[in-house]
Amino acid sequence: MTRPPMLMHIKVQNQDKKFGLWLPLFLLMPLALVILIILSSLILIAILVLWPSGWGRYALLALKAAFVTFWSTRGLEVDVQNGSQCVYVSIV
Amino acid sequence: MTENKKKILEMLAQNKISADEAYRLLSAVDSGEGGHGNAGHEDTGSKGTEVKGKPRYLRVTVTPGAEGTSSGNGGLFKDGNVGRVNVRVPMSLIRAGIKLTSLIPPEALDKANKALREKGINFDVRNIKSEDIEELIEALGDMEIDVEGGKGEKVKVFVE
Repeated sequence: MTRPPMLMHIKVQNQDKKFGLWLPLFLLMPLALVILIILSSLILIAILVLWPSGWGRYALLALKAAFVTFWSTRGLEVDVQNGSQCVYVSIV
Repeated sequence: MTENKKKILEMLAQNKISADEAYRLLSAVDSGEGGHGNAGHEDTGSKGTEVKGKPRYLRVTVTPGAEGTSSGNGGLFKDGNVGRVNVRVPMSLIRAGIKLTSLIPPEALDKANKALREKGINFDVRNIKSEDIEELIEALGDMEIDVEGGKGEKVKVFVE
């Protein structure tokens, strides 16, 4: 089983400025869970309302897909340097 | 023949190493190249890793030519037109992305199929099944794209 992403490292650098940020995703996950629990009743109502039109199934699958996609981002690394700018994003 | 193999054979010819040692070194070089079939990946960060098991990451690297060499100060480039790209995407993310196709409404899939047919590709995207995705991802292990541009810039797509 893959482990969830724990930290996100963002680094933006140009000739004048340098900005770096370590984002603790493991601290944000409980917060996201609380928000999800609070909104769950609204989400459920929306799914039930949309179900007859066929979009309810897609809404339900989209929630699952968003969760799976987030869970799979561990190991993603993007490093782009162009001209005088440098952007680096890493999820560990 | 790679430079490493030539060096080993030269060392053997000069009696610097024995035949057994040369054999072991050549085997090591072969196994190091086995994953990519090209020693040129050493500068891209793959470090000669063999891709025999399940591929874990898809790597896309763009390295500039000689005129776009690093300034050595923060890794930035002097030439504004030349940049470097180094992307590593986990296979699990690709798998999740492909599975997102199940969220595409049938009307959109029909449009995609129609566009593919117009381009001469007779393929129904609705026929992609989860087992096909696994097979496709495993087959990526053998994939290697190596493109060199006119200005010396190199684009490499491979798995590790």
